[in-house]
Amino acid sequence: MDDVIWDLRVDSAVKLIKEGKRIDGRALDEYRKIDIQNHISETAEGSAIVNLGKTRIVAGTKMILGTPYPDSQDQGTISVGAELFPIASPSFEFGPPKAAAIELSRVIDRGIRESKSIDFKDLCITEGEQVWIVFVDLYTMNDDGNFFDAGSIAALSAMLETKIPKVEDGKIVKKEYSGKLKLSKKPLLCTFAKIANKIVIDPTLVEEKAQDARFSVSTADDKHLCAFQKGEQGSFTRSEIDECIEIAFKRGKEIRKTL
Amino acid sequence: MSEKKIVIPGDLVTEERKKLGSHVFVENGKVFSDSLGLFYPGKDIASVVPLHGKYIPRRGDLIVGIVVSQTYSGYIVDINSIYSSYISKELTRDRLKRGAVISAKVTDVNEVNEADLDDVRVFYGGEVLSVTPVKIPRMIGKNGSMLNALKDGTGCSLLIGRNGWVWVKDGNVPLLVKAIDLIEREAHLNNLTNKVGDFLNKNKGEK
Amino acid sequence: MMAKKKDEIEYVKNGKRVDGRKVDELRPLKIEVGVIDRADGSAYVEWGQNKVLAAVYGPREALPKHIQNPYKALVNCQYRMATFSVPDRKNPRPGRREIEISKVCSEALAKSIFIERFPNTKIDVFVQILDSNAGTRVAGLIAASVALADAGIPMRDLVAATGVGKAGGEIILDLNKEEEDAPDAVDIPLAILPGTEEIVLLQMDGLLTKEEWKKSIELGIKGCKQVYEVQKEALRKKYGEAEKETAKAREPSAKETKPKKEEKVN
Repeated sequence: MDDVIWDLRVDSAVKLIKEGKRIDGRALDEYRKIDIQNHISETAEGSAIVNLGKTRIVAGTKMILGTPYPDSQDQGTISVGAELFPIASPSFEFGPPKAAAIELSRVIDRGIRESKSIDFKDLCITEGEQVWIVFVDLYTMNDDGNFFDAGSIAALSAMLETKIPKVEDGKIVKKEYSGKLKLSKKPLLCTFAKIANKIVIDPTLVEEKAQDARFSVSTADDKHLCAFQKGEQGSFTRSEIDECIEIAFKRGKEIRKTL
Repeated sequence: MSEKKIVIPGDLVTEERKKLGSHVFVENGKVFSDSLGLFYPGKDIASVVPLHGKYIPRRGDLIVGIVVSQTYSGYIVDINSIYSSYISKELTRDRLKRGAVISAKVTDVNEVNEADLDDVRVFYGGEVLSVTPVKIPRMIGKNGSMLNALKDGTGCSLLIGRNGWVWVKDGNVPLLVKAIDLIEREAHLNNLTNKVGDFLNKNKGEK
Repeated sequence: MMAKKKDEIEYVKNGKRVDGRKVDELRPLKIEVGVIDRADGSAYVEWGQNKVLAAVYGPREALPKHIQNPYKALVNCQYRMATFSVPDRKNPRPGRREIEISKVCSEALAKSIFIERFPNTKIDVFVQILDSNAGTRVAGLIAASVALADAGIPMRDLVAATGVGKAGGEIILDLNKEEEDAPDAVDIPLAILPGTEEIVLLQMDGLLTKEEWKKSIELGIKGCKQVYEVQKEALRKKYGEAEKETAKAREPSAKETKPKKEEKVN
């Protein structure tokens, strides 16, 4: 409402999509350019910065010693968190996370967790006593839409280079490592926007503002789905969902190869 | 009374081409109900009478309102709807305080359902009862038949607002409350006026 | 409590599940309409062990003013679990899970409502889980939708919902907690507008192939339609019963009176 200019931009985006075109000239099922830089932090156990077009997000991992949950004595765990950091957009505010940021975190977390690409038993140090907790934290840096996919790629990239600190007498030895975090799969999220009854992948900010509904598909590998999330007030038909799944497998495969 | 059907939101009302009344919508050439309500298949208009719902003001409605606060030039009046209304001090000679009961006519409604009021009357004493707004037509009845039955049966002075608020004074108010309860429960049934009349006659002596 | 290890359980044996249901069978579902007097609309749902209350307030003015949308009503569904509704006491503060569920449920309900008719307003929907055993968000959603209809809010359709998914390699409808805890469990909360089969809520977690997904959505939509019948029945029953009572109580004298035309608005 404050920025009427977005209404105008949304109108022209919708008009184009009706004709099967997009403002930036992409095909409806085409991603923006993905650029990944690894190892951007010395202190983090793993890190990456991802540029998806103009959308930018940073991920860093920290391995923390913890005690296992009572019902899984021989397992560690992971935790993915994302914040809509006010540095990234005039519409993000400082303060406790709002529903949108919580949804973003939880959808990226589920995509990784449910792929079972990390065997939580690998994260056990001493059964019943000490386990690893892998924290993956995401910070949004510039908002041009689709933090879901950019965040998922950043989280995965950071995890792929995560080193496991050396532990002696139950304590972490600083700057020494005992190996790397094992991932058996490369789970990736593909997000779609439904605009004027058409499905577009990787929506930009204008397209997000124009969307009636959003659907994210996480593929664990080339054969398995591992998470869904439908969002926003619109709806999808079954065939639209199937279309999204097909494209998600195809694009997931392509991106997976580059990681 | 013609046959009637209870419909719920999304229920098919008719596939025939009929004039569209209220609380229906058209999709793919068919008419559906948008509310939980009653539909009369025999009528030549496709319309649903809802069984519940907030009062949305319409031009011409007579409503009962309660003054909430005073501004420099007028009063803010609660009319039991989404928004309160405003009446200018020019519309009444009385000095109104918070809690004053008025009746007024809705002269206009804007696109966000805010009402303009006129023909303000002030009521002194008495109390205000609440009725589900969609059931108000039943409380009045055809040509005011129910309203007359209620007045005769209870001896109350009554003013029924379309917005679900009823101003009442004198007479047997507890009996009136019971009669209103009966109307609320059975508003969708036939023969209501006779039933309420019988009920009032039977219980006239009670206090 | 844990007699068998999870990976030794046969989740479907001779066509029967751990609780005796068939693969395409819902847990017993009961819906009651109009259970909270002060609310504009309300409903109570018992679905297996799940017990849920939903209340609707509104449309009412959205405040503070800057949250108002001049084109439509805001739909604000708040899903909360009671502290005693889970095995360990839940922290009464709303958690991240509850906030996410509230968001997706609000969005699913909004699609069913003619929100454009009520600019600058909000419709509050409060969903309280009193007891839980897997599938509380879909139980909350169907309760909320019935409560919205009870509040007389104009809607395109009801929102019907169910869980569907996988346990022990089998695609099954409406998973209970034991099934949801299977090592290979997949849980898919699904909500549709039954008239058009439009999908308004869809989440999933767990590993699933494309073929398994196709089976799941097929079964899920069938399940939603069964739930829809129970929802409709509950709404009709509230008024149908009053009708029956009066039919019984009607006196002979009343019968003789001529049927009247519908009474007119004043």
